[in-house]
Amino acid sequence: MSELLQQAPSLGNTLWFVLAAVVLLAVLLGFVTYAIYFERKVIGWMQLRIGPNRVGPLGLLQTVADVTKLLIKEDTRPKNADRALFTLAPILAYAPAFGVLAVMPFTESIQFADLGIGLLYYIALSGITVLGVITAGWASNNKYSLIGGLRSAAQMISYEVPLVMSVVGVVLLTGSMNLREIVEAQRDMWNIIPQFLGFVVFIIAAQAELNRTPFDLPEAESELVSGYHVEYSGFRFAMFMLAEYVYMFGMATLITVLFLGGWLPIIPQLDFIPGIIWFILKFSAYVFFQFWLRATMPRMRVDQLMSFAWKVLLPVALFNILLTAVVVSYQSGMF
Amino acid sequence: MSGEFIAFFILSLLTIGGAVFMISFTRVVHMVISLGVTFISIAGLFVLLGAEFVGVSQILVYSGAISILMLFGIMLTKHDAKDEGAGPSWKNRFALVFVAIVFGLIFWGIQNTPWAEPTQPVPSAVSNAKEIGIEVFTKYVIPFELLSVLLLVSLVGAIIMAKKEEDKP
Repeated sequence: MSELLQQAPSLGNTLWFVLAAVVLLAVLLGFVTYAIYFERKVIGWMQLRIGPNRVGPLGLLQTVADVTKLLIKEDTRPKNADRALFTLAPILAYAPAFGVLAVMPFTESIQFADLGIGLLYYIALSGITVLGVITAGWASNNKYSLIGGLRSAAQMISYEVPLVMSVVGVVLLTGSMNLREIVEAQRDMWNIIPQFLGFVVFIIAAQAELNRTPFDLPEAESELVSGYHVEYSGFRFAMFMLAEYVYMFGMATLITVLFLGGWLPIIPQLDFIPGIIWFILKFSAYVFFQFWLRATMPRMRVDQLMSFAWKVLLPVALFNILLTAVVVSYQSGMF
Repeated sequence: MSGEFIAFFILSLLTIGGAVFMISFTRVVHMVISLGVTFISIAGLFVLLGAEFVGVSQILVYSGAISILMLFGIMLTKHDAKDEGAGPSWKNRFALVFVAIVFGLIFWGIQNTPWAEPTQPVPSAVSNAKEIGIEVFTKYVIPFELLSVLLLVSLVGAIIMAKKEEDKP
C-alpha cells in the first residue's frame, strides 16, 4: 500500500487509489447499515422488545429499506437558507470523517498511509467537522438549528481538550505518535492497564465527541426540535447521519489501536488466529459498549455538560499525564 | 508531471482562491469559510514540503480558530448583515499602488536571497515530530519557555477582562 504512494501517478495507480477508497467506503457502508440494525436490536432486547423483524429475514434489510426511503425523499431546502453553505455543510461534516480512516492500521498489512504523526492527524482532521456543524446550523436560517449548532460546537470543542490530553499518556509511554508503533509497543501489556485513567477519560470524551448518549444534546429532540440538522432532509440528512456513524467506526478503531492492542492477540499463544479477527472482536466490543450505554444512561443536562468537561475530565487527564511522565522518567533512570 | 506538482497546483490555487474570496465576499460567515479553505490548503502545502507535523498542527490550531471566529461572527453580527463595499475610488487606486510596491519588494527579496542548497535529501519516513521536539527542548528552549509564559499571560488577561465586565451591574 505505502509503496504505491511513492510512485509517479499514472492511470494504473490512480485507478488503484480510487479502487482502494471505494472498497473502504463499501466496508464502511456495510458497517453503518448493520451497526444501525444491531443498535436497534440490542436496545430492543435490553428494553424487552423484539426490535426490527419485518423487512427481510430477521429484519436484516430494515436499514436498507430506511436508507432507500431517505434517499428517494424530496430534497427540501428552506427558501431563505443560504444556498451554497447549505449544500456545503454536509460535505464539510462527512469528508473529515472519511479522511481520518486513511491512517488507521487495521492489521500489520492493511493500512493506507503510515504517517509518523498518525494520532495527531486523526485529532486535527476530526476538528473540521465542528465547522460543518456550525455551518449547517447557520445556513439553515432557523433559530432552533442555529442554537443547536452553537451548542454542539461548544460541546465538541470543550470535549476535544480532555480527549487530546488523555492520549498524551499513551504517547509518553510509547515515545511515538505513529499508530503502528503504538500497537507494537503493546505486545507485553495492553495500554488499558497502565493507562487506565487515560482510558476512562478517553472513553467519556469520545462519547461526547461522537454526540452519543449520555452526551447526545446536539440531537435533543425534546428541547431543540432536533438540533443543527432540523432543516435537512433526504440525501443531505443521510450524509450527517453517515458522518456520525463513520466517526463511530473511526473512534472504535482508534480505541482499539490506542488502548486495546490493535491486531495483537490476548495471549501470544493465540497467535494462529489472524490479526484482523482480533481487531474485529475488539472493535465490536467497543461498538456494543456504545449501544449498551445508550440503552442505560439518561441524557445529561446542558449546564452540567461544560463544567463536567472542564472541572472533572481535564484535571483527571492532566493528573494522568503527570503520573505517566513521572513513571516514564523513573523507568528511564532519571532519578 | 509528478503527483507532487499536481497536488501543489491544486493546493496553491485553493490557497490563493480562498484568500481572494475572503476579501471579495460580503457576508461574515462566507468570509470565514473561505479563510478556512486557505488555512487548510496551507497545511496541505506544508505536508508536500515533508513537514507533516507543521501541517497537522496548522489544521489543529486553525480549524478550532475558524470555528471560534465563526461563532463570534454569528453572535456579533446580524444574520443578513452585509459589508458596506469599497470606499471612494482614489482610495482603491492608492491601495493598488501600495500593494504593487509591497509585492515588488517581496518578490525582489525572494529572488535575491541565496537559498542554501539542502545538503542531503530529508528522508520522508523519519518522524519529524521527534526532531522538532529535540530542537525545541535543546537549542530553542528559552524562546519556547518565554512563549508559554506569554500564552499564560494572555490567558489570565482574557479572564480578568471577562471578570471585570461581569462585575458591572
